[in-house]
Amino acid sequence: MLTLTPLEIEALRLSLLVSCCAVVGSLPLGIVCAWILARLDFPGKGLFDGIIHLPLVLPPVVVGYFLLVVLGRRGVIGSLLLHWFDFSLAFTWKGAAIASAVIAFPLMVRPVRLSLEGVDPGLEQAARTLGCGPLRTFLTVTLPLIAPGLLTGLILGFARSLSEFGATITFVSNIPGETRTLPIALYSLTQVPGGDEAALRLCLISVALAFAALLAVDILARRIQARMKA
Amino acid sequence: MLTVCVRSRLGSFQLDATLNAGSGVTALFGPSGSGKTSLINMVAGLCRPDEGRIVIDDRVLFDAKAGIDVPPEQRRLGYVFQEPRLFPHLSVRSNLKFGWNRVSVAERTVDFAAVVEMLGIDHLLDRRPAGLSGGEKSRVAIGRALLASPRILLMDEPLASLDSSRKAEVLPFVADLAKRFAIPILYVSHAMDEVLRLADTLVLMAEGQIAAAGPTEEILSRGDLCPLTGHGEVGTVLSASVDHHDDENGVTALSFSGGTLLVGRIDSPPGAAVRLRIHARDVALATEPPRQVSIRNILAVRIVSVTTTLDRQVEIKLDCGGAVIRSQITALAQSHLRLTPGMQAFALLEAVTVARGDIVDRPAGHR
Amino acid sequence: MVLKNLTMALVGLTFSLSLAARAEDVTVFAAASLTNALNEIGTQFTAKTGDRIQASYAASSALAKQIEQGAPAQIFASADLKWMDYLADKKLIVADSLVNLLGNSLVLVAPANSVLKAQQITPKTDIAALAGPGRIATGDPDSVPVGLYFRQAMERSGQWQAVEPKLARAESVRAALALVERGEAPLGVVYATDAAVSSKVKVVGLFPDSMHDVIVYPFALVAGHESAASHAFLDYLRSNDAKTIWTKYGFRLN
Repeated sequence: MLTLTPLEIEALRLSLLVSCCAVVGSLPLGIVCAWILARLDFPGKGLFDGIIHLPLVLPPVVVGYFLLVVLGRRGVIGSLLLHWFDFSLAFTWKGAAIASAVIAFPLMVRPVRLSLEGVDPGLEQAARTLGCGPLRTFLTVTLPLIAPGLLTGLILGFARSLSEFGATITFVSNIPGETRTLPIALYSLTQVPGGDEAALRLCLISVALAFAALLAVDILARRIQARMKA
Repeated sequence: MLTVCVRSRLGSFQLDATLNAGSGVTALFGPSGSGKTSLINMVAGLCRPDEGRIVIDDRVLFDAKAGIDVPPEQRRLGYVFQEPRLFPHLSVRSNLKFGWNRVSVAERTVDFAAVVEMLGIDHLLDRRPAGLSGGEKSRVAIGRALLASPRILLMDEPLASLDSSRKAEVLPFVADLAKRFAIPILYVSHAMDEVLRLADTLVLMAEGQIAAAGPTEEILSRGDLCPLTGHGEVGTVLSASVDHHDDENGVTALSFSGGTLLVGRIDSPPGAAVRLRIHARDVALATEPPRQVSIRNILAVRIVSVTTTLDRQVEIKLDCGGAVIRSQITALAQSHLRLTPGMQAFALLEAVTVARGDIVDRPAGHR
Repeated sequence: MVLKNLTMALVGLTFSLSLAARAEDVTVFAAASLTNALNEIGTQFTAKTGDRIQASYAASSALAKQIEQGAPAQIFASADLKWMDYLADKKLIVADSLVNLLGNSLVLVAPANSVLKAQQITPKTDIAALAGPGRIATGDPDSVPVGLYFRQAMERSGQWQAVEPKLARAESVRAALALVERGEAPLGVVYATDAAVSSKVKVVGLFPDSMHDVIVYPFALVAGHESAASHAFLDYLRSNDAKTIWTKYGFRLN
């Protein structure tokens, strides 16, 4: 019961690959957006905030369809990619990573923004007077101070990516080895008579992964807190 | 040498300030909301004036007309804020070295070990800011700004967040700093005791304007500025120097332009310069040389002016060998003495009524 | 005045509701490829009898699984014998209602604007090469009938090794069709009847029947959910009226 078939190992590997890439790849943009929301004020800020949080409230399938319209082979941007670089995201794990990244994005931005709002701008001013330019100040002062928020964002994003189904299957279909992540593999197994045992195994793997992620963030968060207090 | 000439609209008032700050400590004194913090924020580059020019040592930091606005990190200034603003994620040592690391070895003018020793924070180096007391944090903040090898040190009420015992702990360090590390200091304060202790030059600010600027004794002696200096009462500030100590009797003789004064024994060595504060109410007057009185400090003075104020008090300005001393007596007393300008008289300052807290050690090197 | 109108409306509503209640629903689980034809037949049936058809279209494998788990289907129409037999083995089918009603053929399709030209498909045709760097969309060859037929064709012509990695596995034949319509896949393998209903794809070749098992669509009543209406509808599906429609959509009649 506990040994994994190649199919399951592949789904697990793919899920980890897609989720890690999705989260790590969108982190810089996430930090930028969080910074804009936390520190700047401009007309249309509410709209910007709304757009970022859209994937959180839309049905994932809608998001997937939207990605198809924009990034599919016939899409606005997708057709350009195809034409210039002979590059297509359809049926690829990269496309799956993008779908996951879009869905998980609001979950990443939120904790980072909250963390940024908690940073005393006076500390950043102090750093400026001590010779640090804006970027250096951000890297040496702000970033370490928002580390807990970053971590939370990463883990939440990672967990959401792991469970991503609707947008992925709509955008890049179900290709074993390329886009058949854990949830999609599980779904496929439930569509076929006789797939229940394997489906259950995948289910347990998913739960184990989720617990591991939550445990990791808890330990890391505590370590950071402890370091600040010493 | 710092030259500032700026104009800016700040909320409800207009800031219009021109000042020069040379070596030593220049205090910016005034009530809350008079624009002091805004002014040094402009010098630091954290706030942009509408018009004007800021130059330090021939380097233009800001010039509205020429479109120059050097960002704070390039101005080579040190800034000690009201709150310590220590970086919580770094150790004390890393905090201290934060600005230090940004400066090339050739440009460093301050020695790490010297600063640590002067501030007495050697035992704190490996700790984190969270575990430090208020006074310790202030000292580290001062050290951090100093170690950035600044051309000028800006201090915005750095002791404001401390209680009086902490303040008493840290104030000597600031005074020492000015002496040891030849860096000009621009010190914002609304506490007169800090100004008396530290300032060579005093700049008075009110409602965004500079009311007066000049050597501290001079400014503080001007009666017309009393409302601004907020003494609460009229007084005199004198500079004197230690003549000798009388250990047997526990007194120190201080000499000034008008003669000698005796005060309770102080620690400063002979020849050291001190600043004296004499409350006008502590100066009694006599028209004849008093005999057999307990007061030891009796000076021959000449009456300069007599002014009746509210409250049946009379303010009398005295000249004592060139130094100005102020006295305040009741109208009743005046009606008996009938003092008039030009009269010779005697001022009695009881040795022990010149409160110890008002005798401050002034840094050597005064012009 | 208002109260009178309101009462009239209420009475009318109750009357029509009760009328509707007398009509029966027939739940049909049918292979995806039967979508258009079955809908039309169902509409005709409703017009004639008043009974409505609730049809659920998906891959036959998925439907079989749902019926196995107790879904309230009354009629099952599969695109191959395998899944009907699967349910029959589990005694979930009314055995003597079983009828192998329709046939179909397998075609290779491409997006309408593809440069590929129509050609004869033989066991020697290199399907993988025709797809170029792109993928071939079809139903999942592990379970969906159209994928299973295609797999047989490729295995028997020795091309399966080459073709398998290039597949874009869709969950039903219609999903595969959609992939080709959108241009996501340059080639697709669907039924001839599916190609016929889509204007966005063109047929590039026809798979000879010899390359795979005969395509058969068995229809049957699901055990335990029989009703007069479901019997009536199954009979109707075999009627001449229905046959006209089946033929119109390109299905072969057995």
